[in-house]
Amino acid sequence: MNSATAMTAFTAMMPEHLLLLGMALIIVLEIAGRGARLSLLVALACVGLAAASAAGLALQGYSAAPFAGHFSVQPAALMGKALVLALGLLVLLMSRDEFSGGEFPVLLLASLYGAGLMQSADSFLTLFLGLEILSLPVYVLVMLAYRRPQSAEAALKYLVLGGTASAMFLMGVSLLYGSSAALGIPAGEAMGIRSFVAALGSDDTMARAAAVLVILALFLKAAIVPFHTWAPDAYEGASVPVTAYMAVVVKAAVLLAAVRLFGNAVLASPMLELVAVLPLLSIVWGNLAAMRQPSLRRMVAYSSIAHAGYLFYALLGEPAGRLQATVFYLLAYGLLNLLVFAALPAAADDRERDLLSRLQGLFQRSPFAALMIGIAMLSLAGIPPFPGFVAKFLIFKNVIAAGYTTYAVLGLLGSYLGIYFYLRVIQVMFMGTAQAAPGAPGEASAGTNWAAVASVACLVATLALALFPGWVLARL
Amino acid sequence: MSDALVLNLVLFLPLLGIGLLLLVPADQPTLVRRLTLLVMVVVFVLTLRLYVHFDSTVAGLQFETRLPWIAAWGVHYQVGLDGYNILLVMLTAFLGPLVTASAFTAITKDVKLFYAMVLLIQFAMTGTFLAQDLFLFYVFWETMLIPMFLMIGIWGGERRIYATIKFFLYTAFGSILMLAAVIYLVVSLQDAGGVTSFAFADLVKARLPLDVQAWLLAAFALSFAIKVPMVPLHTWLPDAHVQAPTAGSVILAGVLLKMGTYGFMKLGFPLFPDATHLFTPVLMSLAVLSIVYGACLALVQDDIKKIIAYSSISHLGYVMLGLLSLQLTGIQGAVIQMVSHGLVAAGLFLMVGMIYERCHTRELAAYGGLARLLPVYSVFFMVLTLASVGLPTTSGFTGEFLVLLGAFTGAWPQYLAGDSLPLILAGVAVSGVVLGALYMLRFALTFLFGATKAPQTGAHPLTDLDGREKTILALIVVAVFALGLFPGEPLRKTELAAKNFQQLVTTPRLPAVKP
Repeated sequence: MNSATAMTAFTAMMPEHLLLLGMALIIVLEIAGRGARLSLLVALACVGLAAASAAGLALQGYSAAPFAGHFSVQPAALMGKALVLALGLLVLLMSRDEFSGGEFPVLLLASLYGAGLMQSADSFLTLFLGLEILSLPVYVLVMLAYRRPQSAEAALKYLVLGGTASAMFLMGVSLLYGSSAALGIPAGEAMGIRSFVAALGSDDTMARAAAVLVILALFLKAAIVPFHTWAPDAYEGASVPVTAYMAVVVKAAVLLAAVRLFGNAVLASPMLELVAVLPLLSIVWGNLAAMRQPSLRRMVAYSSIAHAGYLFYALLGEPAGRLQATVFYLLAYGLLNLLVFAALPAAADDRERDLLSRLQGLFQRSPFAALMIGIAMLSLAGIPPFPGFVAKFLIFKNVIAAGYTTYAVLGLLGSYLGIYFYLRVIQVMFMGTAQAAPGAPGEASAGTNWAAVASVACLVATLALALFPGWVLARL
Repeated sequence: MSDALVLNLVLFLPLLGIGLLLLVPADQPTLVRRLTLLVMVVVFVLTLRLYVHFDSTVAGLQFETRLPWIAAWGVHYQVGLDGYNILLVMLTAFLGPLVTASAFTAITKDVKLFYAMVLLIQFAMTGTFLAQDLFLFYVFWETMLIPMFLMIGIWGGERRIYATIKFFLYTAFGSILMLAAVIYLVVSLQDAGGVTSFAFADLVKARLPLDVQAWLLAAFALSFAIKVPMVPLHTWLPDAHVQAPTAGSVILAGVLLKMGTYGFMKLGFPLFPDATHLFTPVLMSLAVLSIVYGACLALVQDDIKKIIAYSSISHLGYVMLGLLSLQLTGIQGAVIQMVSHGLVAAGLFLMVGMIYERCHTRELAAYGGLARLLPVYSVFFMVLTLASVGLPTTSGFTGEFLVLLGAFTGAWPQYLAGDSLPLILAGVAVSGVVLGALYMLRFALTFLFGATKAPQTGAHPLTDLDGREKTILALIVVAVFALGLFPGEPLRKTELAAKNFQQLVTTPRLPAVKP
């Protein structure tokens, strides 16, 4: 390797390098016995720098292929990385209350590394590698709340179903290799893995089966009906920051990778029905099932099933607009979910923290938290003027512009079903009678400042997104 | 200060007011109330200035602001005054201070949040009227739901949760289909002409095939008809009105219900004239049905708030009838009727709220002979009742008379041409006037005369109106008479818009079908 290619690999993979550096530093600190105090700071600094470098490169229009055919970066990929890392940074901020050791930051950094890798994948090998590096630390992260009996169950469920997804993915890839004898694309192609794009439109049974398996594996990872049943249990079993990470960052990484994978493929029957009907079912079922959930975390789980449905709807639109719609949606969706989790008042028992009955009359006790959760709920429901509306508008606009009016109308009607349970949260918080907060209020207050920082950051970003959507869209 | 700047101030001052409220400590409710009132009064004064400066000889938008908002989609922040919205903006600004002052004693829980919501809804309502860009309109249109949802849900009566969720879900259902229609409209305009624009001025140029027009109008009409509300989509209204706090009812009856009719006038009919022609018999029948059915229901209610709620359904039926007559008199009458109903229904709800604060019941049978107990109150009540019935010299008369005149003028040529439905409908609509007199007089007779009774609680002695209440009602009564006696000036302001509406809706957008 000559110095020029080494330099390319250094610059192009800068975000990944920074994450790796962070991991190494935290491990060293942990060995030196200072992990408890410094690891989070190191993680914050590294993720922040990585996000900044990705965004910086993207704005410069940098593109390079350090490992031709396997790994390349374009502005679009870098923008995706910057988004995922920025959301990860917010998760780190709000985790201060839950975890004091070095395990959490190091696992999170590893998982983010995988998420970054997925955004640059040019071949199925890289994509698979990224997917696994993304997922493996999360299985452990769910287990970190091991004091609760549910967390082991949740982690196991997640592990088994994650394994199933990997198996399906690999099966699909092998079939694809069998039918096309290629796993990647030659360097320099714009986007999309060509063999997959070809398989989408192919009449060959084997290629078609391969494409279906790969899509279903993505559906499983993103929790699309009927592959969603792991999500509510896993989200409930994990502690709040890990739930936030799964709901926001993992989903964002998978969806962005899906957009990259589909490239400029124009969907046609029967793949079109697969990519339209199952997400539609997710929208409907996710919104219906969320109505009956007793805790905010399970509710968010079902709501995220519905939102995954909207996100896959973006693939129905014209190829040119997909990435913009997905990134904007993920940005709005991610910020709002994180806003909910960051604003949740702390409690002695993590499990009870988000029970709806505990949120009764929250506005009387802590108006700021109630207002933030309220804004997030309205926005997730897609009520203007909040950014969730613009995001939804963009996706449905693309779907209608592509000519799928029926799917768009059905999807919108499905989203109507969701309004009820978002309103219910507001009703509980604002219209319920206040009850004394169970447990001592001063308990976890030492660390809450960080979560407050995270929630204020989310709120500011949300409002900026609501006021200047045009400015953001012009830069995606 | 340029008038365009003043217009933006009128829109954004309430939002600024919310910012100021945030700085006030929660334990100083009096300061919160005064601050809100101050903001509302300033907004009204500025609106008055705009009203005076508004040139009624100029067609189209005045004091316009147009800035790119989401440039990639052709979405603009575009606001301005025209003949369509000037009276309604004026009404909104006029009711703002009255609503604020009316809640001074009634609302004692979470005062800060309450007034923040009053200001927020003022902002959203003004914005809905002023918006000249469909995207902006939709954003404001939906934003209105949030403060009203909280207002009914937090400060409402016993069944407030049920009522407020019903209100939200009902109206949101209409909106979601309208959203699909909005997107479809803009996308098809883009495909046809290559222009991506949400501006009303561009959208009225769309030449869509009839079936598309029919679907889109159906979606828009569903949303607007729920808001009006037209029978059979009215069932949310009585619940919302009865459970809402007085200020909520006043805003709902005074301004929010006008959103539906304004939507039909500004968007629904002018955007899809050919489909409107197709739907006119159905919509006109529903309008007349609303007039008669609303009046009949108002006749048998025991709850005083429900009487006024159902009377609103009846009165807004006239507005729809006037718009659909497509006669200049009818359209002008519809606009006057909107403002008149906004004043009269708001006044009646305020009066119901005042008696409720004293006696804590809305049961009609619990009251009697108030004329002897509360003479000042009774005078005001009688005046507003007569305005609601449509006695000449009050605003109610001007509106209803012009609407019916328009309906008959429009129906006669059609009758001569062999279509008797419009004439029959106009005839039936007249019966609404009689029914209106019946239910309002039944209400007033039981309420004010007869055996003296009023539920009294020890803590709240039954006293007549105080200075604040008298001022509020006096202002409304003055406005009612002003509109009834001197309708010429407001009618001049709206005349060009009415002509524009008539011309847009009566000119077919599609080429005539070849035989």
